[in-house]
Amino acid sequence: MSTVPVEYFLVVAAALFVVGSVGFLLRRNLLVLLMSIELMLNSVNLTLVAYNRLRPINHDGQNLAFFVIAVAAAEAAVGLAIVLAFFRVRKTIHSDEANLLKN
Amino acid sequence: MEALHKQFPNEDFALIAIVLLLPLIGAFVNGVFGKRLGKDAVRLMALSAIGGSFLASALTFVMLATQHGEGKLSWLAWRWMGVTGRMGQTIPVDVKFSVDAMTATMMLVVTGVGFLIHLYSSEYMRKDPGYHRFFSYLNLFCFSMLVLITADNLPVLFVGWEGVGMCSYLLIGFWFTEEKNAKAGKKAFVVNRIGDFGLIVAMCLLFYYVGSVHWDGIEKNANALLTPIKIWPIGNLSKETLPAFLATILIPDKPVQVYGATLVALALFLGCAGKSAQIPLYVWLPDAMAGPTPVSALIHAATMVTAGVYLVARLHFVFILSPAAMAVVAVTGVCTALLAASIGLFQHDLKKVLAYSTVSQLGFMFIGVGVGAFAGGFFHVFTHAFFKACLFLGAGSVIHAMHARIHDTDKSQDMRNMGGLKRFMPLTRYTFLASCFAIAGLPLTAGFWSKDEILWSAFSVKITPPMALGGMTPFEWPSWLGQAIFWAAVLAATMTSFYMFRAYFMTFHGNFRGWKIVKGWKDPHAGHDDHHGHHEETGPLEGPEPRESPAAMTAPLVILAAFALFAGFLYAHPIHVEPLGHLLEGVFDDAKRVVGERPGVEDMMWPMMGAGFAAFLVGTAAAMWVYLNKAGAPERAFAARMPGLYRLIYDKWRIDELYDATVVGMVDALADIFTMADRWLVDGVLARLTAALAALIGTLLRAVQNGRVQVYAASMLLGLAGVGWFLAAPHAEVVVDDTEVRQSGQIKLSAAPGYGYSFHWDGLGQADSKLSERSDVTVRLEPGEKKDVTVKVKNAFGLETSKTVSVSRPALPPGMKPPEQPKVPSMVRPDIPTGEIPGDEIHKLLLPKGAQ
Repeated sequence: MSTVPVEYFLVVAAALFVVGSVGFLLRRNLLVLLMSIELMLNSVNLTLVAYNRLRPINHDGQNLAFFVIAVAAAEAAVGLAIVLAFFRVRKTIHSDEANLLKN
Repeated sequence: MEALHKQFPNEDFALIAIVLLLPLIGAFVNGVFGKRLGKDAVRLMALSAIGGSFLASALTFVMLATQHGEGKLSWLAWRWMGVTGRMGQTIPVDVKFSVDAMTATMMLVVTGVGFLIHLYSSEYMRKDPGYHRFFSYLNLFCFSMLVLITADNLPVLFVGWEGVGMCSYLLIGFWFTEEKNAKAGKKAFVVNRIGDFGLIVAMCLLFYYVGSVHWDGIEKNANALLTPIKIWPIGNLSKETLPAFLATILIPDKPVQVYGATLVALALFLGCAGKSAQIPLYVWLPDAMAGPTPVSALIHAATMVTAGVYLVARLHFVFILSPAAMAVVAVTGVCTALLAASIGLFQHDLKKVLAYSTVSQLGFMFIGVGVGAFAGGFFHVFTHAFFKACLFLGAGSVIHAMHARIHDTDKSQDMRNMGGLKRFMPLTRYTFLASCFAIAGLPLTAGFWSKDEILWSAFSVKITPPMALGGMTPFEWPSWLGQAIFWAAVLAATMTSFYMFRAYFMTFHGNFRGWKIVKGWKDPHAGHDDHHGHHEETGPLEGPEPRESPAAMTAPLVILAAFALFAGFLYAHPIHVEPLGHLLEGVFDDAKRVVGERPGVEDMMWPMMGAGFAAFLVGTAAAMWVYLNKAGAPERAFAARMPGLYRLIYDKWRIDELYDATVVGMVDALADIFTMADRWLVDGVLARLTAALAALIGTLLRAVQNGRVQVYAASMLLGLAGVGWFLAAPHAEVVVDDTEVRQSGQIKLSAAPGYGYSFHWDGLGQADSKLSERSDVTVRLEPGEKKDVTVKVKNAFGLETSKTVSVSRPALPPGMKPPEQPKVPSMVRPDIPTGEIPGDEIHKLLLPKGAQ
């Protein structure tokens, strides 16, 4: 059984990361921003497990991917809570409106 | 007594600790708790501290006089530090105290007169709100003074020296709310600093040349100071290192040399001149009279100002090695005595007269120690302490009485407002008169004996210079110098008796001029008159009769006056009654080697004593005629006839103005320059410019900090990309090690390593090597050869970069052969080829044979 070469995974991961980062830079909707972050994190996860296939000793890549998933979950929980709190104050989730500390 | 000697052996004489610590405890208690203790407790503390110290001092004196052997009593408190000398030896500096006859006498004066003045002040300062502060300072002063006189080495003495200076400063400016007083304190402090500089220099010189600062050590090694010391040009200055026009001015053909002893003695004397108010540093002492009168009596007459005389006498074994320095001391003394006495002639302020009299008497003491009569000079310190303290306390008593109606400080001290006080203040009057007799030199009083001893020593002196060393001729005293000093001193003594009796007659005789005396006068402001000088009075002042001071003030006067009259018999040299003299002369045994009598003066002692007596008679009679018989009319006539001269003398020869115009003006100008530099350079450039720069950068960076999350994220991405690019690109760096290039022509080149790098060296002069992981090579160069070596670096991504370095070997100077290659010893394995080895083949040779 032939396997998928590791480069394929890397290309997909890079594409995912670019999509995520461009989304994060260009969009102003806080929920979309959070999703973009998830995309970037998942692209990293994909890279990690791909390399893990290349060097499976100790399964370092897999382990690290689990950590990233856990951190991403926590980040999503906190981030969504912030978004919710922000929405209650400003009645919007547009990130440019988050300027209470300015001026 | 035996038990005491056993309890306090000579080498571990802990009784000194009691003498020293009691006043320190008093100062601490009064200074910290005094305000809460109340005035009675403060007085009790201060008086018992200094009184206990006096008793311990008296016991010390008795034990010193009754000890079996010779020598001094010493007590080592603790080891302080060690200083490395010029031979690399360790010079110990201990906190050590010792007592010999001179110290013991001085201790009695400091604690005895100190106790009387404490007692006097407890009444004099009764109404002052700073009562506890005053006694705290006074006790602290006594402690410092005792440290100064009991110190066994120069650094410990210096601690006391600075301590008394500080207490003097604090007490001159005791009423610091008036600017005049604060300024006087500052002046005293600053002028004393100039002198202290000399003392520190002397201390360093002793450390360096003698290798000891303990009295015994200096005495033992003092001959080391007989070597010439080059004082100019200093350091590396020479004709070669300076521009020509400076060199001709600054560098003499022969270096300037002086004896070490002269240098040390003159530096010491600068310190003494500062502390003891001699020309040119005497100007602070008259101003110091701004302090309370008991302070003037204790510090600025009886004890502190004599510290300079004490130090010269203490280090007499240095001074006798340098006749030149002794001449400087004696001549400075006589000049000061004359100048100060002449200023004292026409002063109106009673305390000012006494102040200039003190300066003048200090001059007499320096004449004494300058002509080698160390015991005589020191004995004048002793007697002067009594009669001058008595005079100051008497003046204080008068001022105290004047304060009944005149509250202005200057007016209450002005003798033109006094007069006729003998009827109202008999005790003050008689004690003042007794002290006047003593200072003017009425035969058989204390001042007569001590002053006569000094005059006679000056007249008869012959100084034998020490052996000439180092090809220098030591200074020889001209034969007329001693006689010139004698006659000048007699003139000063005449003026002394004139101005002292002028003060006496103006104060106590004639009619009272302070206010109109009304019998049974009642103070209309009684009850709310606590603050002085709040109300202006119009018309002629009326008031009650001046009253004699209370017993706490007159008792010290009586005791001091008794000493002023009779203490002279402790050292009456001409009539051979000298119990104290025998003790003191043991201290100054060394001086006999150098100081002797001129031949042919043996029979002249009594006739010359006549000169001193004549000085007393002339001065006193003149003062009596002018101020008692004519009520001061001749002085006014003189002032009217020669107003310029009179003003000049009254204005103290305008020496203060001269100093203001020269030294003080120069320092002020320097300070102005520094102010400008501070304002423009430090504040302007360093502070404001850097602040503006930071603000500018802040303004620029603030534009980026706009609060948009996306901008932050973008900059993060940019940074990440930069780091990634740096990691992906190869870097070529070469370290050149050419430490051996002069010896063998070998230069080691090593390229900076990196992950996945391979290197390729070009320009080594042999077949170019292939890419390899070796990062260093060795190049060998001939003399004068130059090579460009290029290294190419390729990393794991296949990217390449290169760097070229130039290496060269300096050419040999013409006519020099290349250095011989060290012959390879024969024990080296014979199959290693000798001769030149290409740089990158060495490692192959080091491999085992088969692997090549």
